[in-house]
Amino acid sequence: MNPLIRSKIISFCFAAILGGFLLTNLVLPDNDFSYSERRKLMQAPSLTLEKLAKGTLFQEFDKYVLDQFVLRDTFRSIKAIGSYYVLQQMDNNEIYIVDNHISKMVFPMNEKAILSAAKKINEVKNLYLVGKKISYSVIPDKNYFLAEQNGYLSLDYTGMMEILQENITDVKYIDLFDFLSIEDYYYTDIHWRQEELLDAAEKLMLGMGRDLSISIDQYEAKEFYPFRGSLLGQSALPVEPDTMKYLTNSVIEDSIVYDYEIKDNSKVYLPEKFEGVDPYDVFLSGAKSLLKITNENADNDRELILFRDSFGSSIAPLFLLEYSSIILVDLRYMATSILDDYIDFSKEQDVLFLYNTQLLNSGYLLK
Amino acid sequence: MVFSSISFLYYFLPIVLAAYFLVPFQYKNMVLLFSSLFFYFYGEPVYSILMILSCTSGCLHGIWIEQAKGRRYAKLPLISSIVFSIGPLIFFKYADFLIVNTNWVFNSNIPLLRIALPIGVSFYTFQIMSYTIDVYRGVVDVQRKLSNFTMYVSFFPQLIAGPIVRYTTIEKEIQNRNHSFENFAYGVRRFVCGLAKKVLLANTLGELISLLQNTQEKSILSYWVIAIAFPLQVYFDFSGYSDMAIGLGRMFGFHYPENFNYPFISRSITEFWRRWHISLGTWFRDYVYIPMGGNRVSASKCIVNIIVVWFLTGFWHGAEWNFVLWGLYFALFLVLEKLILKSLLDKMPGIFARMITLFFILISFVLFNADGVGESLVSFKGMFGLLNLPYSNPHTLYYLKSYSVILAISVTAATPLFSMLLERLKGFKRSERVISLMEPLVQVLLLLMITAYLVDDSFNPFIYFRF
Repeated sequence: MNPLIRSKIISFCFAAILGGFLLTNLVLPDNDFSYSERRKLMQAPSLTLEKLAKGTLFQEFDKYVLDQFVLRDTFRSIKAIGSYYVLQQMDNNEIYIVDNHISKMVFPMNEKAILSAAKKINEVKNLYLVGKKISYSVIPDKNYFLAEQNGYLSLDYTGMMEILQENITDVKYIDLFDFLSIEDYYYTDIHWRQEELLDAAEKLMLGMGRDLSISIDQYEAKEFYPFRGSLLGQSALPVEPDTMKYLTNSVIEDSIVYDYEIKDNSKVYLPEKFEGVDPYDVFLSGAKSLLKITNENADNDRELILFRDSFGSSIAPLFLLEYSSIILVDLRYMATSILDDYIDFSKEQDVLFLYNTQLLNSGYLLK
Repeated sequence: MVFSSISFLYYFLPIVLAAYFLVPFQYKNMVLLFSSLFFYFYGEPVYSILMILSCTSGCLHGIWIEQAKGRRYAKLPLISSIVFSIGPLIFFKYADFLIVNTNWVFNSNIPLLRIALPIGVSFYTFQIMSYTIDVYRGVVDVQRKLSNFTMYVSFFPQLIAGPIVRYTTIEKEIQNRNHSFENFAYGVRRFVCGLAKKVLLANTLGELISLLQNTQEKSILSYWVIAIAFPLQVYFDFSGYSDMAIGLGRMFGFHYPENFNYPFISRSITEFWRRWHISLGTWFRDYVYIPMGGNRVSASKCIVNIIVVWFLTGFWHGAEWNFVLWGLYFALFLVLEKLILKSLLDKMPGIFARMITLFFILISFVLFNADGVGESLVSFKGMFGLLNLPYSNPHTLYYLKSYSVILAISVTAATPLFSMLLERLKGFKRSERVISLMEPLVQVLLLLMITAYLVDDSFNPFIYFRF
C-alpha cells in the first residue's frame, strides 16, 4: 500500500474513533444505573469553585466519564475476554469459570473474621437463647466445589470449620458440606437453587430434632428466565443465564410475611422483583433485617428463629411445613443488642444460625 | 490528567486536535498553550500558578542573561535563574527529607511540612534550567515571547513525565513546523504503541506486583517474581509514556528525542544508562558532568564526578535514601566498569554479559521499588531466603501461572525481537504488503482493546509521576 494512503487511513481511523466516541458520549443520555454491575452510576458533577480549586471536580469528572462511557458493558466484556481468553489469565477481577459455573475466588482465610462470627453467635446465645434448642450450619460457597480442584486459590474450609467448632459452644453443628454439590447452585450467581434444597432442608430439620419429610410433589415449581445472577454481570464474560425456579404451594401462598422495617405485610415470593436489580429478591424481598413469616395453615404453634444471610431467604419457605411461624434475623442489618425489642424470646423456639462461608470470611459483618 | 484515561483520550485529545487543526497557523501555539495549561490545571489546580511562575521566571531570566552577556555580572542572572528554578524543587520535593535528617542528626523536633509534590516539577524545572544555561552558553537564541516559552515548558505531551526536551530541540518548530499525514500517522502509531505498553503491559504487571506484595502469603519465589516484574513495569510504564509524548508531539508537528532504546539488552551498566531515560542521562552529562570536567580530568577527579552525578541522579528520582543509594549503586558499577569490568564484559560472550548486567539492574530496582532503605532490606532478605519463608506457596504459583502469558509477552517486548522480526518480514514483498494492509486494522483493534481496559477501570497508576 502506498505509504501516504496508509498514513491517511491510520489518521482518519484514529480521528474517527476519538471524535466518534466524543460525540456519541456527548449526545447520548446518561444512565442512572448499571444492571450488570448492580450499582448506581456516577452522574455529571456539579460545578463549584470549591471543587474546582481542590481538584475534586475533575476527579468526579473522571469517574463520571468512565461510568457513562458508551457501550460500557461491551467494553467490559472485551476486556474480560482479552484477559481471560487471550492473555490466559486464570481469573478476571478474581472471577473464573469452570464448566459454565461462574465463581469469585475467596482467599485467603480471615481467621479473625471467622472468630468474630463465632463470638457473635455465642453472644446472641448467651443474651437471649439460654435453654433453647440451638443449632448452626454453614453453607459452603461455590469455591468449595470448584476452586482447589481446578487450580484456583481456595479457603481452608477444614480450618474454618475447626475455628467455628472450637469457639461456638453449646450449639449443635449440622454439617451440610457433604450434603451439597455444585449442581445445587446457580451457574451465574453465588446462591443455591431452592428446587435443589429439599434434602438440605430435611437434613437441617432432622438436625434440629424435627422429622420433616418433604418431596417435590408437595410443590408447584414456577420458573423465570433469563436469570442473570450477580456474578454474570461482574464477570462480563459470555455465559448463558440461568433459569430461576421457586417452589410454592398453598401453605406458602397463604403465609404472611411481616416486615418490621416498613411495618407492612407481604408475600413469601414476590415475582415482580425478578425484573428488579437483584432477581434473587423474589425470595422474601431480598436483604431485610427482620421478617416474620406466619403460616396461616399451621396445625402447631412451633416457632423457628433463623439467623441468616441471603441464602436463608430461599430455604426458609421450605421450613414452613414444620412451623407456624419463622422469624428471620439478618445480623448484618440489625444490632444484637436490640433484638429483644422486637422478638419475644420467652416462648419455646427452635433456633438455627445459617451462614455461608463467604460471609463468615469477609469481615466483621455481624452486628 | 493522565494520557491513559477516558477523559484524556475521548474528551481532551479530540477537542484539542480539532481546535488545533481548525485554527490558522498563527493561532496554533495559542491552542497548544491554553490546552496545556488546562491539562495541568486539571490535575494540579493550585500548583498551576507555581508552574506558570516558574515559566515566567525562566523566560525573564533568559532575557536578563542575554542582556548581561559580556558584562562583569554576566554570571549573576545565570545563578539567579538556577536558584529560582531549583528553589521550588528543593522546597516542594526535598524539604521534608531535609527536616527528617536534620531532626535525626541534631535530635531536634522540627515539624514536617507535608507538602504535596507538584506533578512534573522535576521535569519542567530541568527543562527551564537547560534553557537558561543554553542561553548563557549562547547555544540558543533567547525567547522573548512569554507565551512561546510557556508553551515550550508546559506543552502537555511532555510536561508531566518527560522526555526532558531541551529548547534547542524544538526552538525552530515553535516558530514553524510541518503538518502532514505521515507525521500524524507516525504520531498515532507511537501514541497507540505507548498506550498499549502502559495499559496492557505495565498496568497488568503492576496488578501482579500488587497482588504479590499486599499479601501475607509471601514466599522466596514471590520476592523474585516481584523483582523481575517491577523493572518491566517501570520500563513499560515510563517508555510507554515517552512513546505517547513523542507520538503526541509528532501529531502537532514536534520532533521529540527518544528516551529509551531497549535498555534490558545492555551488555554493561554504562550501556544501560545510554538506553534508559536517555533525556535525563544526557541532561546530567551536559549540565553537570561535563562542566565538572567530565572524564578529561585525573582518574580520581573523574570518579568524584561520576559519584556526584549519580548521587544527584538518584536524588532526582526521590527524596529518600534508597534513591540516593540507587544512584550510588550505579556510580559504583560505572566506576568499576571504567576501571576494569568494561574490558572483561566486552570480551565475554554477549549472552553472559547481558545476563550479568540484567542481574545487577534487577537488584537495583529492588532498591528503587522500596519505600525506604529498611523495606528494600526486607525485600533482599526475602529474595535470598533470610526471612524463613517457603520457597513457594499456592498463592505465588497461582499468580505466576495466571500472569505467565503477560510476563512472557513483556519479556519479549522488552527486547527488539518484535521490531527485528517485523523489519525482516518487510523485506519480503508479499509479507510487506500484508503488514502494510494489516497495520491500520491492528492500530484500531489495539485502541479498542486499550479503551476496554480503561473502561473496566483497571489498575492505572503512573510510576514516574511521583518524580
